[in-house]
Amino acid sequence: MRDDKSTQEITAADTDNELVYWLTTCLNRYTAETNSSRSYTSYTQGRNTMGNKSSLLLREEEIAQIQEETGFTPNQIERLYSRFTALDKNDCGTLSREDFLRIPELAINPLSERIVSAFFAESHDDRVNFLQFMRVLAHFRPIRKNRENKLNSREDKLRFAFSMYDLDNDGKISRDELLAILHMMVGVNISEEQLSSIAERTIIEADTNNDQMISFEEFAHALERTDVEQKMSIRFLN
Amino acid sequence: MNRRSFHMAPKLSKIFPESCLLIFVGVLIGALLLSTHSVHVQPLTPDTFFLYMLPPIILDAGYFMPNRLFFDHLGTILLFAVVGTVFNTLTIGLSLWACGQTGMFAFQTPLLDMLLFGALISAVDPVAVLAVFEEIHVDEILYIVVFGESLLNDAVTVVLYHMFEAYTEMGPSKLVYTDFLAGFGSFIVVAFGGTCIGVIWGFATGLVTRFTHEVRVIEPIFIFVMAYLAYLNAEMFHMSGILAITFCGITMKNYVEANISHKSHTTIKYTMKMLSSSSETIIFMFLGVATVNNNHVWNTWFVLLTIVFCSVFRIIGVYILSAVANKFRLHKLKTVEKFVMSYGGLRGAVAFALVLLIDPKVVKLQPMFVTTTIAVIYFTVFIQGITIKPLVKILNVKTVEKRKPTMNERIHERFMDHLMAGIEDILGKHGNHHIRDKFKRFDNRFIRPFLLRNYQGAEPKILETYSKLAMRDAIEYMQRNASTIGNISGAESMSAIFKNYTNANLNGSPSFSQLDSSTWNIDMQELEYNPSKKDLTDARIHHLLAEELCKPYRRHRRLSYSRHAVNDKDLGMQVNYKTHMNIRRLVGDRKHHHKRSKRGKQDGKNHVSFPEFQQNGSAKQFTHDYIDEVLQEDDEVPRRENDDGGITFTAKSPPGYKEISPTSSHKENSSSLLNQLANLPGFNPLKARIVKQYAKTPEEILPTAVEKSLPWRRDRSTYNFVPNEDILEEDERRMSDDNDTYMTVAEQARVATPTATETMLPWKRDDIEGSGALKQSEFPAWASNKEYLAYSSPSATFLGGIEKPKHPKSIIGLFRRESSGSTQGGGEVIMSDSEGKADSLMGESSSKGESSTGPKLGPSLLSKRSTSLGGPTVLLMEDVAHSDPLGASSRPASIMQGPHRGQCRRGSMLELTGSLSRSAITEEKCSKSLPESERMGVRRLALGQQSLPRDTFSRQHTLTSNLTSSSSDDSSDENT
Repeated sequence: MRDDKSTQEITAADTDNELVYWLTTCLNRYTAETNSSRSYTSYTQGRNTMGNKSSLLLREEEIAQIQEETGFTPNQIERLYSRFTALDKNDCGTLSREDFLRIPELAINPLSERIVSAFFAESHDDRVNFLQFMRVLAHFRPIRKNRENKLNSREDKLRFAFSMYDLDNDGKISRDELLAILHMMVGVNISEEQLSSIAERTIIEADTNNDQMISFEEFAHALERTDVEQKMSIRFLN
Repeated sequence: MNRRSFHMAPKLSKIFPESCLLIFVGVLIGALLLSTHSVHVQPLTPDTFFLYMLPPIILDAGYFMPNRLFFDHLGTILLFAVVGTVFNTLTIGLSLWACGQTGMFAFQTPLLDMLLFGALISAVDPVAVLAVFEEIHVDEILYIVVFGESLLNDAVTVVLYHMFEAYTEMGPSKLVYTDFLAGFGSFIVVAFGGTCIGVIWGFATGLVTRFTHEVRVIEPIFIFVMAYLAYLNAEMFHMSGILAITFCGITMKNYVEANISHKSHTTIKYTMKMLSSSSETIIFMFLGVATVNNNHVWNTWFVLLTIVFCSVFRIIGVYILSAVANKFRLHKLKTVEKFVMSYGGLRGAVAFALVLLIDPKVVKLQPMFVTTTIAVIYFTVFIQGITIKPLVKILNVKTVEKRKPTMNERIHERFMDHLMAGIEDILGKHGNHHIRDKFKRFDNRFIRPFLLRNYQGAEPKILETYSKLAMRDAIEYMQRNASTIGNISGAESMSAIFKNYTNANLNGSPSFSQLDSSTWNIDMQELEYNPSKKDLTDARIHHLLAEELCKPYRRHRRLSYSRHAVNDKDLGMQVNYKTHMNIRRLVGDRKHHHKRSKRGKQDGKNHVSFPEFQQNGSAKQFTHDYIDEVLQEDDEVPRRENDDGGITFTAKSPPGYKEISPTSSHKENSSSLLNQLANLPGFNPLKARIVKQYAKTPEEILPTAVEKSLPWRRDRSTYNFVPNEDILEEDERRMSDDNDTYMTVAEQARVATPTATETMLPWKRDDIEGSGALKQSEFPAWASNKEYLAYSSPSATFLGGIEKPKHPKSIIGLFRRESSGSTQGGGEVIMSDSEGKADSLMGESSSKGESSTGPKLGPSLLSKRSTSLGGPTVLLMEDVAHSDPLGASSRPASIMQGPHRGQCRRGSMLELTGSLSRSAITEEKCSKSLPESERMGVRRLALGQQSLPRDTFSRQHTLTSNLTSSSSDDSSDENT
């Protein structure tokens, strides 16, 4: 780009009839331009460095590791990492619950608590590092045929959703757990009885072994006609 | 009619889409008209088409548009609708112009004319697409993309059309570049203007329907009129009417559906479908008719090239655009889908109407355009329409079957929506989910509360699905059980009742009826089952009686005609009327019999008062008519008593009576002695009465199943006592007395512990305290039957009063407490005959009430067991010589005062509360574990009795009372 501009300048100068004078001026301008562009480049580099301060921390092997583990492309990883650092207000390389809930739209999402908790499922200290962050997001990668699908197969997606219901991690959705979700989604305008009867109806509908709980198999069965692959996928930008 | 006939010819309609057949018929009609020269009308004028034919179809499409799907794919749809249409217009127009330059058409082809033609021919037609795609059931995404495109490209088509028309009129020489800019600008205005008008009208409709709940009838009218107004409104401002009415439908649906009644919804649905399919039919037929005329200008090359260009550029356009769209789509359009999309680009009536609009004076080629347009339409509708179905099958395009979402799908999908919206937020990406989520929030917060009458929380769809499913469940349940109920009521219980009853009356002696009795069944399960059904049936009948019979029959005819009011109940009333009449007849019979039986007996009380019915239904009664015989049967009785450890009591039933084994387990044993005692006398009489009035009494009495089936009954403990009566007459007499006592007892129990029924059914609460013993005495015995008690009957007089037997011979009743909850429940009552008396170890049982009722109460063994079981057991024995036990018991004075009082008392209750038992529950459990063998023994005994039916007459009453609190037990003990 710089070269183009300079050539343009030169040609512009050439078209000028007053050769020498203009040539010198051109040269002057050229150097000036070059300098300024150089300074611009360095400026952008500086900005890049600053903005991607952590991206510098994200070394090749880390990217490779994340790519290996989650299946994201390096571009996606970089992009998500910049988002990650943008969320990371404390610049400590990890996210806390507050960091998540600072997102205004997420804060008013009825399921925000569960969604955020899903990110913390693997962490023990209530912080989420980038790798964990990416692992969770990997569930939402669209399924590509002819490519290996890590963490984002239909079953993985279903498991992820299921685990968000299953608060106590016993592998079953109990009536209370379902009711809690309904509470969050439906809100307050509905009477308790109605909600609980809805929950019961839902469980009965899915419950095949009559244990009044929804196991993962029953959950998957109930949704077998749903396009989960589609519904639980996001197009990650490159 | 045509439509129908096509469907009647299955083979035809399998091969051809409906539209083809309609056009074919239209052609036939047109040929007929032409040959007769009778009519020279142009049936399908653009005005008719755009003003009357098109709006219903588009409204139907918009109103039943799957919103979610539509907006999910809106980007793709718009891409195809706008860019695709423009692309097709330009390429077709330019290609035709280029071909025209070669001179192959043998006439001049001005560029603008060609572009004008390209504009009208390039638009995919919603009517044709709907007609074909509705029959092939392709994947919903594919459907929505093609169909959405056909709807939304209207704006483009109309704009392009008018633009080129205007250019043509101006002439190419005067065109300046600003005109093209104006054209582009006008597209924006037309499209967005139409959309906005539609949305505004949609909201307005929602608002209007919010206030129509008083006049449901006009709800559908608003939907149609306001949608049509949106259309006209848009056309008025030269906006896209199709867009307006589409978006009006899309918008209004969300709010209107929540406001209007279910019936209005149905009306709208069917009216809309009817209107749109009529329009569609007419359009295609008129298309056929319009084909046949003498004004055709056929240019083979032009027609052929147009068809080729239409197909080719459609395919090219689709492939290019879907490649673009796939870059942004999560769900990539696959090759097969692309093919179907391009192949499904049918042209139709819109193009035809537009081409008719062209002014032949300005565009010289208009007649040829008309002909060519018709040819293209025929090609797409016939060739493509017919082949697309097999092609879809061959290419294995995903097809869908329609179905309602299940509860799980609803909830979990909604859950996923929220989840994805949250993830998008975390990613800082503003995708579909994000936008939808935002809109939903806005909608729920501001729009819905404003437009909806009953704003129901944030997830109306979940509720809707739930209520739909619940409704379906209920209907299925009714259908499953209807037969059972019907059979029972019709065949078994009613007929049996009457037969038995008649027999009893004719013979005047119980023995006869006994002979008839074919069933002596002690099997608990069986007993429970049968009685329950009968009970339910009877209860139902009683309910009907209470509802209908007792009131003067009203004709449900509307006094005045009202256009704005529909009497929704008409149908139901007719049905009721029918049942009503039947029941009336039945009741009449019953009454008749009853009176007969009563005659010759002194009757103190003919009066039945309503409050009585409100008495607890918890008590179940088992009656035997013959007391004397029972007394004689001492031998058998003791055996039974021995068996009492077993769950069931055995009662001999007079013929026609089925034994009832109360498989009651007491949930709570802690019942007060007082209550029990009081209950005992009352129950006996009831039974007696029941027996009298309904020969089938036992069946009715067996309430346990009922209790089980009816949750509100469960709380109570049930006492069964089996009284023996010697003679029906005596029974009747006694019954009156017993009734009184019974009622009072029941009342007491009730007061002590409000029954579940009461809590559940508010209307029962009225007279709990108010109904004194006197009132209760007035009730006919059968009225006090528990099953009937479940309903309050307003009827004032069911039965006349009943005389009391002066000297009841002997009644041995065992009250057993039943716990309705479990069949094998702890305490069990066994009928005991005189033996029971002999054995009576009342003292042993340590029941306090015994002393008072002492001599009569006697099933010792049973009592012991029962006591050991911990369940409060009450044995009621009726002695022939017995005086009223009520007096002994601390019955309220009012009861005592009852006219029949002194004599009535044949039965006495023994309470075997044993240790009274707070530990009752545990003991009950123990009782459950009682060996089957005992029960079997009981049964055997019973069978033995059956062989000697006459010998044994036992009455069994089961009284259920709720003894919920241990405190009540204590108090009762103190009282006793």
